[in-house]
Amino acid sequence: MARNFFTVMRSSAPSSTAARPSSSSRSTAPPPPNMKEAPAAGVGVHLDPSLEAVRHDLTEDIEMALELREVSAFYGTFQAVDKISLPIPKNRVTALIGPSGCGKSTLLRCLNRMNDLIPGARVEGEIRFEERNLIDPTVDAVEVRRRIGMVFQKPNPFPKSIYENVAFGARINGYSGDMDRLVEDALRRAALWDEVKDELDKSGLALSGGQQQRLCIARAIAVQPEIILMDEPASALDPVATLKIEDLMRELAEHYTIVVVTHNMQQAGRVSDYTAFLLAGEERVGRLVEFGPTQEIFTNPLDQRTEDYITGRYG
Amino acid sequence: MSAATPSAQLTAYAPRVRVRRGISVGFMVIALLAITVSILMLGALIVEIAVDGAARLFTDGGAVSVEARDGSIVSDLPTPEGMGWLSWVLPIAILLPFVGPRVVHSVAHGVVHGVPRVAERLMGLAVVAPVAVFLHILYVRFESAYFIEYAKAVDIDGATGNVLQLFGEASGFQVVRLVIMGIGLPLALLLMGWFWSHRMRKPSLLIPAILIGAWIVYLFMDPWFLSSYPSRSPSGAGIFSAVTGTFYMMTITAAIAFPLGVGAAVYLEEYARRNWFSRMIQVNISNLAGVPSIIYGLLGLQVFVRVLEFERSVLAGACTMALLVMPIIIVSAQEALRTVPPSMREAAYAVGATRWQVVRHHVLPYAFGGMLTGNILAMSRAIGETAPLIAIGALTFIAFLADSPTDDFTVMPIQIYNWVARPQAGFHEIAASAIIVLMVILLLMNAAAIIMRQRTRTDW
Ligand SMILES: Nc1ncnc2c1ncn2[C@@H]1O[C@H](COP(=O)(O)OP(=O)(O)OP(=O)(O)O)[C@@H](O)[C@H]1O
Ligand SMILES: [Mg+2]
Repeated sequence: MARNFFTVMRSSAPSSTAARPSSSSRSTAPPPPNMKEAPAAGVGVHLDPSLEAVRHDLTEDIEMALELREVSAFYGTFQAVDKISLPIPKNRVTALIGPSGCGKSTLLRCLNRMNDLIPGARVEGEIRFEERNLIDPTVDAVEVRRRIGMVFQKPNPFPKSIYENVAFGARINGYSGDMDRLVEDALRRAALWDEVKDELDKSGLALSGGQQQRLCIARAIAVQPEIILMDEPASALDPVATLKIEDLMRELAEHYTIVVVTHNMQQAGRVSDYTAFLLAGEERVGRLVEFGPTQEIFTNPLDQRTEDYITGRYG
Repeated sequence: MSAATPSAQLTAYAPRVRVRRGISVGFMVIALLAITVSILMLGALIVEIAVDGAARLFTDGGAVSVEARDGSIVSDLPTPEGMGWLSWVLPIAILLPFVGPRVVHSVAHGVVHGVPRVAERLMGLAVVAPVAVFLHILYVRFESAYFIEYAKAVDIDGATGNVLQLFGEASGFQVVRLVIMGIGLPLALLLMGWFWSHRMRKPSLLIPAILIGAWIVYLFMDPWFLSSYPSRSPSGAGIFSAVTGTFYMMTITAAIAFPLGVGAAVYLEEYARRNWFSRMIQVNISNLAGVPSIIYGLLGLQVFVRVLEFERSVLAGACTMALLVMPIIIVSAQEALRTVPPSMREAAYAVGATRWQVVRHHVLPYAFGGMLTGNILAMSRAIGETAPLIAIGALTFIAFLADSPTDDFTVMPIQIYNWVARPQAGFHEIAASAIIVLMVILLLMNAAAIIMRQRTRTDW
């Protein structure tokens, strides 16, 4: 089922890289120089010529956590995102990159119905999640959000104790197990336990920005979601905290599907397995330009605009 | 790949530490002080009650007058040696141990936290001054007890006569005194110290000033004024039924208006869709806040007094007042809800909370302080309202305490209105006293609102 959708983008390109692009090779041979000039004739296949989205082969046979089909998002009459089709591979890190205002956050918020909370916001299209279209109004948004967690760009711990911050989600979802262990476990996984284990009563707001962000990650994983959405989780952090969070993402990817928005190309290269590049045109409507294994996107981009963007020449 | 490295990466931490320290030395000192004062005050009252001759006393320095049963004042009693100066020296001696550590702490606190020392010390004095005054009074009262004994010994006519009255008709007096002196003031001191010893945003003399003002009023006022019912003669009239009526009505008003107002605000802010209907409600609430209060009075007269047959009761008054203050409570509660950042709601939704869970566990608790503040301010508006209560027919001569919500009642502004409207000058004077009492109550309520606002503010 998951594969069907992507057969369209089967390509004739040699599957040069191994199964996990992040693990195997930064040293793939550079692509033939003419590739970018004539993408249509080369590796990827345009799903819809008018959108000019180009996709790489997935390089591994993998289950999809989510499948976006022609997802459009509107704020009132303003269209922020136009017909984006994208797979989100399971237990992998998928990065969304693109210049500011191209609709990355908007797209991310579509994935767990967060846009429902914005008056006037509207989402069209289909997001397949376990045989259901989670955009469908009959799907319970609360359930969706419980299973698809989110870490926000700006750390937003509750003004409650560290313990309560982590325990809240589990408690309201009727968790009846050992709460202390759950809290400890979540904090350990978020690499925060050692720093706060003696002061779990302290207000979450009294932590540093980096600690707050890790607390928010602990809060997100404490409800044991299947997918975690992260919107520039490291944008307000120093390099050390950033690295901690990146390590954390790699670890989490063993059990969770992660979608991360980032402006930091090195970070996208370091943590993600797959990358989607979005771009907004003149009318500020965000569209997908290219999607594929991070390795491919970074070493062998099929679209000139992708290459320009990731090499910092864009605009 | 030297690509876009957001400069934000190096802006690093933005620690937003909320000051919430444990119990500080200052707090403990103040708490000790307040507890001691409470014990002293209660002790004084017990002594006063126990000593037979606690008649109506006018304390004036060391000299004491005793009112005899026929109303004549026996003054110029001989002053025992040393009484005059002792009445001041003793309190100061008692206070020194408290003042010492207090000043030391304030200096240390100023050094550590950078609060200007002068301001700290001034505030220290502000705490101490009323206590000194109190101890002085206390001492004089002990003296007075001595004088009563003395008067009895020298057989001044009627010196024991007032004892009966003390425990008879006006025993409510002792209760009021017990509350004000024994609980109210120590609590106020405690609150002030708590508020002050934790770092305030802006050290303020407001609270101590109000407390001292209340003290001065209390000192200059004949305490019987607070504990007497209205009377035909100005000298015997008091505002006991008006004060209790006011508190009775306000309690019921708050009990009705606060839950309804907060509920309406939560509905409008968190649940209602932004459509023409909710906008219309919103506009109307704002308009209702501006409707003249007499209109509410007429509404209350028809709806509560006549149709619902509450008669001219406390309940009818409270319902009318609840209607009157509801728009204020709703608007201020909405404002409090809006101060909760959307990111808090998003955070809660993102872990799978339902709308009600978000409101119940996050939005309401974070906005509660602000809502309470708004409620107190609304109550302080209601406490001074006269017109609607006149419209529903609150009485002015109530010589008993309401003991059920369906009893007749009066409130302070109506009592004042009634006294001012009388021809005798004596009533004008007691009206002025009643206005001062009302003002002190209002100031205390507003001060409480300010404290609450300061204390419950969260830095997001
Ligand atoms: N709540 C909103 N109401 C109306 N328009 C919005 C809203 N949020 C975002 N937009 C618009 O939608 C477009 C996409 O915004 P979005 O926040 O998704 O961008 P982004 O790619 O995340 O940018 P950045 O990298 O700066 O975070 C922008 O043009 C923005 O102005
Ligand atoms: Mg964004």
